[in-house]
Amino acid sequence: MSLLNFCTWVEGTPIGLFVRESLWGFPTLVAIHIMGLAVSAGMVVWFDLRLLGWSMRGSPVSVVYRQLMPWAFGGFFVMFVTGSLLLTGAAVAAYGNLYFRVKASALVLAGVNALVYHTVTERGIRDWNEAARPPLPARLAAGRY
Amino acid sequence: MLTFLARVQASGLATTIGQSQMLTSVLSSVHLIGLTLLVGGMLVSSLRLMGVVLKSRPASEVTSAPRRAVVVGLCVSVASGLLLLAPRVTNAVQNGFFQLKMILLVVAGLFSFTVLRQIAQGREGSPFQMRVEGVLGLLLWFGVVLSGAAFILLE
Repeated sequence: MSLLNFCTWVEGTPIGLFVRESLWGFPTLVAIHIMGLAVSAGMVVWFDLRLLGWSMRGSPVSVVYRQLMPWAFGGFFVMFVTGSLLLTGAAVAAYGNLYFRVKASALVLAGVNALVYHTVTERGIRDWNEAARPPLPARLAAGRY
Repeated sequence: MLTFLARVQASGLATTIGQSQMLTSVLSSVHLIGLTLLVGGMLVSSLRLMGVVLKSRPASEVTSAPRRAVVVGLCVSVASGLLLLAPRVTNAVQNGFFQLKMILLVVAGLFSFTVLRQIAQGREGSPFQMRVEGVLGLLLWFGVVLSGAAFILLE
């Protein structure tokens, strides 16, 4: 089954139909999606500011991470769920939309960037956890995000 | 007042934005980026005031850290918001959600400015007072976001 066929099928499911046709479904999902954005991306901006050594230099990186990222992950979860639901109503249109493809690609790349940071760059964290200005690989991860 | 707004709406800039889906989309994205910086910064400050995150650091340190991001976010949001508003301003000012958003925006801005300035000056108040201030700030700023979404989506 091709991706386009899958999108067509999704739009025909009860959820897809609800999102497209209900008066309240779509606006509510979008509103929650936007609030999830403020929480998730807003928190990540903070962590990136710490990684760049621009903010909260008195706190170790791992402390900032442990305190803020659970909120960011909660926000990402909300965005993933609401985004998926929104997609079920507009799958075919999204499939053909260049901007959505760019957005989806950027999301994947952001995930890869985070993965690289966690699996590779973060390993040396005991050396630079307390530093006001973390080493270049960490700062690059923040910049790329 | 209404004739002034009608003239704004009929201006070259407003009609250009109103007729261009591309411009409107770009401005909307910029507006969202601005609100992410602004509300994200206020979110961490509010959570610290509520005693939920970064308790080991002084409140003044945590709430002053995002100051530049918050100011940039606010300026970006207001600028993009004004441009987005221009093509539809006469309808917007009569829309209940928009009126609510503007009232909440002014209240949130004044409230946060006052509270954060007090904390920066070391006049923190009791833990209970800070917790109330944190919760109120959260409700106000997310209220702005919600009423903005309602205004656009339920037009």
